[in-house]
Amino acid sequence: MSLRVQVVLVALVLAVIPLVGYVHVKQMEKLLREGQEQALLATARAIATALHDRPQLLELRAGQPASGEMRLILQSLSRADSRIWIVDQNQRLLAIAGDLKKPSPPPEPGPLEFAVRLVRPVTNYLLEPPTQDFDDALPEQEIASGPVAASALQGVPSRRWRQSPDSRAVILAASYPVWDGEQVVAAVVAEETTNRIRSVYNRAMEQVVAVTLIAFVLGALTLLFFASRLSTRLRRLRDEAEAAIDSQGRVTRVIAGSAARDEIGDLSRSVSTMLARLAQYTSYLENMAGRLSHELRTPVTVVRSSLENLKLQPLPPDAGVYLARANDGLKRLDTILTRMSEATRLEQLVRKEERERFDAREVVRGCASGYSFGKRFEVDVPETPVWLNGAPDLYAQMLDKLAANAADFSYGGKEAGDEPIRIRLDTRDGHAILTVSNRGPRLPESMAGKLFESMVSVRPSKSGAEPHLGLGLYIVRLIAEFHGGTARAMDREDGSGVVVKVRTPLNSGSGSQ
Amino acid sequence: MARTVAIVEDDAAIRANYADMLKKHGYQVSTYGDRKAAAAGFRTRLPDLALLDIGLGDEPDGGFTLCRELRAMSAALPIIFLTARDSDFDLVSGLRMGADDYLTKDASMPQLLARISALFRRADLLREPPASEEVLERGALRLDMKRFIATWDGRTVDLTLTEFWLVHSLARFPGHVKDREQLMRDAHIVVDDATITSHVKRIRRKFQAVDAQFAAIDAVYGMGYRWNSGSGS
Repeated sequence: MSLRVQVVLVALVLAVIPLVGYVHVKQMEKLLREGQEQALLATARAIATALHDRPQLLELRAGQPASGEMRLILQSLSRADSRIWIVDQNQRLLAIAGDLKKPSPPPEPGPLEFAVRLVRPVTNYLLEPPTQDFDDALPEQEIASGPVAASALQGVPSRRWRQSPDSRAVILAASYPVWDGEQVVAAVVAEETTNRIRSVYNRAMEQVVAVTLIAFVLGALTLLFFASRLSTRLRRLRDEAEAAIDSQGRVTRVIAGSAARDEIGDLSRSVSTMLARLAQYTSYLENMAGRLSHELRTPVTVVRSSLENLKLQPLPPDAGVYLARANDGLKRLDTILTRMSEATRLEQLVRKEERERFDAREVVRGCASGYSFGKRFEVDVPETPVWLNGAPDLYAQMLDKLAANAADFSYGGKEAGDEPIRIRLDTRDGHAILTVSNRGPRLPESMAGKLFESMVSVRPSKSGAEPHLGLGLYIVRLIAEFHGGTARAMDREDGSGVVVKVRTPLNSGSGSQ
Repeated sequence: MARTVAIVEDDAAIRANYADMLKKHGYQVSTYGDRKAAAAGFRTRLPDLALLDIGLGDEPDGGFTLCRELRAMSAALPIIFLTARDSDFDLVSGLRMGADDYLTKDASMPQLLARISALFRRADLLREPPASEEVLERGALRLDMKRFIATWDGRTVDLTLTEFWLVHSLARFPGHVKDREQLMRDAHIVVDDATITSHVKRIRRKFQAVDAQFAAIDAVYGMGYRWNSGSGS
């Protein structure tokens, strides 16, 4: 899982904000409802108290609304959007006043009005908006056998929530008994819808949603930005670190450490230092041969000049043998030194060698005609010129190394059958492919990919033979790279030998002349 | 009177060995272990020929400094660099400082002696009027075999001794391919193939500085080089 995804998941912690908001709003709604209940009960009690011990007011006059005084009491004591009715012991409706349908004033815009308006389409969908369009008829059974009225007629005040008959609003009813002496003569029932609470509740919910949304969006964006920055920096560091070392393990360029003062900057600086050290070490190893040859030259010169002086002295007769042996050894040492410095010298040469356009066929044909190494060579070049951009001398030197290498590794005599070493020049996909193939032992698997490094050799150590430092194929690689190409060694498909392929891009100039 | 050869070399054993060898061949030898001693010695008495190491004790380029000072004192004094360094860069720098030749320390004594005597011969002849001339002419090329002076179309090409010998080896039999072994033998050097290649490149460049059309040295890949008298004449 990427760093960015992880951080965004962490942002889900912000999801507790709406939960807390929801619980809070619910709590508030409960309080408001209780308050409404109390208020409604108080209204019912006030009216009941006003009617107390005044039975003449409760006399039913069929077909007539409540008397003038009764109306006065009801009007003065009732609340703005409540409905009050009175029933007597016979469940007859004595009076009714007020209306449940009172449009509530539009809520005042709060501080987060813009955000609230933004989320309103969503909240409207989720929250039920209070409506004035409901059936406010007073159902018969509510009067006759409604528990609220019944309980009050028993002398016990009560309250109850009920749905409007069409279930579009919730109605709160509170009742209070009217006493006449020791007797309950009627019950006052006050009713109100919960619309006011509902709209407050909705409004609070809208605000919670809006605040949550804003907090969540801001928080998530901040985290996302932060995570993106982190992951971009880390990815860049990784890319740089990867690009800094090529497939051969050489440091191609040292990355510049970031100046940032945090841990990633620190990491980048330490990677940079590490690469610089690695580059030093690699170049130390690569220059080892050159340096060694340089350092060894002085003592070798001491030995040689001493021997030369010795030759001019009168010597006992058998000293000549030892002198000759010393000279032989010296010659071998010289060869080693020359070989060792060859790669270094070539590295320097390659750095400033001028390039020209040349026909690789001529180089291959010319070189191959001079080869023997005690082996047979077979050369195959195409009909048309193979133009390369580079240095023909270097190309020839590379071919020399490849041929010498192939000769050293091919079986001698009968084992080889009569198979010659094959040198082939081909063009394919805009590249010149030089192939040198010989019959011989397979490549050791452990050395795959390493053959072209400095001082790597797979030769069995033989005493007395020519010194081998494992620089030959390294030189091949240097020259191949100078020509913008690559060198690869692999087993023949049937395992009967080894193929070395050097692939260099053709000079695109006037390709076919 | 015996000629004086000055050896400036920081390795005592090599210094003594070279001194002994040169003495046996009849030269007078003065030896110096570092740049300051050598500079002081040269101010007292100029040698007839100087063999300089490049790295002298603590000064990695002490030999170059010394060479510059010597050249300032005498334009004709033969100077040979003899050093363990063999990079092209050092070689070019050394020759640009006005040295007459450059040998790596793996050169054998006979190679060194051949150069010393050749340079002395040239120095002698430059002082005297030309009595007998030994000249090789190939088209525009003219090689004065005594003074080691090469000219192309009458203009002098400034070759070192080694380069002169290489040109001579090639031009003696135009059209014949000389392989690297033969060239090395003729130029009294033992180096690897790449060094011969860079020598030949330098020679070409020097001729091209005089005549941009110069193309008389052909590379025959896998074989060697050839003087091509057909072109450039």
